[in-house]
Amino acid sequence: MAAFIPTKKALHEWRLYLFVIPSLVLIAVFAYFPAISAVYHSFFDWQGGNYKEFIGGDNFIQSWTDEVLWQSFGTVFILIIANLFKMIPSIAVAVVIHRLVSDRWQYWYRVLVVVPMIVPELVRLFIWKFFYDPTFGLLNKILDWIELKPILVSLDTYVLHWNVFREGFPVPWLSEPHLIVPSLIFWGFPWLGAVGVLIFLAGLESIGREVYETAELDGANGFQKFLYIEFPLILTQIRLMLILMVIGTVQGYGLQLLLLGQDGGAGGAGMVPGLWMFNRAFSAGQFGYACAIGMILFVFILVLTLINNKYIRIQR
Amino acid sequence: MRLTTPTTVTVKAVGREKLELPKHLFILAILAIELLPFYMMLQISFKNNVMFNANPWLPILPGATLVENFRFAYHLILPYAANTIFVSVTAATANLFFAILAAYFFARYKMPFSNVLWSAFLTLMLIPSVTNIVPLFTLLKKLNLLNSLWGLIAVAVASGQVFNIFVLRNFIEDLPRDLFEAAEMDGAGHWKQIIHIVIPLSGPIIGTLFILSFLGCWNDFLMPLIILRDPQLFTLGVGLIYLDGDYAKDWGHIMAAFFMASLPLLIMFLFTMKLFIRGLSAGALKG
Repeated sequence: MAAFIPTKKALHEWRLYLFVIPSLVLIAVFAYFPAISAVYHSFFDWQGGNYKEFIGGDNFIQSWTDEVLWQSFGTVFILIIANLFKMIPSIAVAVVIHRLVSDRWQYWYRVLVVVPMIVPELVRLFIWKFFYDPTFGLLNKILDWIELKPILVSLDTYVLHWNVFREGFPVPWLSEPHLIVPSLIFWGFPWLGAVGVLIFLAGLESIGREVYETAELDGANGFQKFLYIEFPLILTQIRLMLILMVIGTVQGYGLQLLLLGQDGGAGGAGMVPGLWMFNRAFSAGQFGYACAIGMILFVFILVLTLINNKYIRIQR
Repeated sequence: MRLTTPTTVTVKAVGREKLELPKHLFILAILAIELLPFYMMLQISFKNNVMFNANPWLPILPGATLVENFRFAYHLILPYAANTIFVSVTAATANLFFAILAAYFFARYKMPFSNVLWSAFLTLMLIPSVTNIVPLFTLLKKLNLLNSLWGLIAVAVASGQVFNIFVLRNFIEDLPRDLFEAAEMDGAGHWKQIIHIVIPLSGPIIGTLFILSFLGCWNDFLMPLIILRDPQLFTLGVGLIYLDGDYAKDWGHIMAAFFMASLPLLIMFLFTMKLFIRGLSAGALKG
């Protein structure tokens, strides 16, 4: 434990405070000041310059009737549900790596899983954007190659009526409003998360080999072993990744900004709240309104964090 | 570690080998798709658009196009990479330097207001960065840090403090107290204690945090996109965004540029692989 220093002695030891002051100044200037400024300016009509006019709660009233904002929360909700399923590959791969007998293979698979993290995120993002390219993109080439295209075309003609899959025309993945959200969801297939896999593996490490052997004697199959041995042990890690994923999805907009641009793609189909905030500030110059959207996001995320802290205890 | 006796090993090993194969296939299949983008990047960087259209999938022998592509990429990426390395190294170093000092303060002593200051850091965890970005932009404008690499560094250092201080404080608290007391007996001041006890004993965790900070800086594109305007100040993030925005695209050029942009991290990874993987798994446990 840290040594307790009474007030009298503290006056003598005042130099200790110098150790914490640089960090404090940094967070005060670059984190607390902007946060307070955001709260303050959400009540103003502000273009980012010196002129500003107090308008009370008008920004929030405007946000209530802002259809784009509502729609963007709807999109984020869909993305969260999709991301929930996208956690499965990481869990499956972690479990299978853990079940390997050879420690050496376990190590090398870990290395391979981490490799995508080493390539700059942006590079990965742009390669995927290239995959979606209608003329050069691999996705269309693969569809033609495995002859899935005719199936999609008839699905579109008879069921979906989106008129996006047409015989003889390349599929415009990122420029058709109907296809934007599906493309965002498919993005990054097979959705292996390096951090996720490593975290799950760290959780699985406490299971000894003999536990498996006992289970095998009892005639447990692979899935039962997962259900009764592995899943309960990594539940803490799954919850941790879950809350990180939800918060990350609610506030993230880098992917949408780079794949679709500031307007969220054709028809604004890929618009998410963070991107709408970015758009309002840097494209429309409505800094005050952007701050108000930021506040709404903040409250949203705060509630999620508090729910997490209250109901989901993470054991250390 | 298997606790089997020698006689049963052979029987079990044969049985296990059979069971192992599907597992390997499963992992390899997923990894193959996961790594497909990087394979494509590598092999397209050997080609120009015509060659790519004729043969999109298979690699070809290196030729004049490869040299041409990489010459283009080298000239394009080098200045961006230099800026990025400057920003990432400076930010990660400053980040850890300040974080170690603050963590030492919190871990070793309980001064008046320690708790208040600690909660000032913890509260920050609740404020998502997304709400700050708009006022941060105007703040940097006022401070004349817009369109400057120092603005980027300042923001990166400030935003990394909380996590690093949090992890380091836990770590320093676990160091044996006798060491510090013995050092104090010998008349070592706080600086000496940090340099001779804290830093040597927390080497691996400092290394891991450094890599994470460095990686965060290297991968960031939102802040550079907002802060930087002059092309000669561009970091890799903004540079690649502008490259992608070009109207007529030569995919060979672009993929070669992507490869060049990934190279520094790949080289760093080769040397820090163990630290990296252990650090990520351990960091995961600490939360």
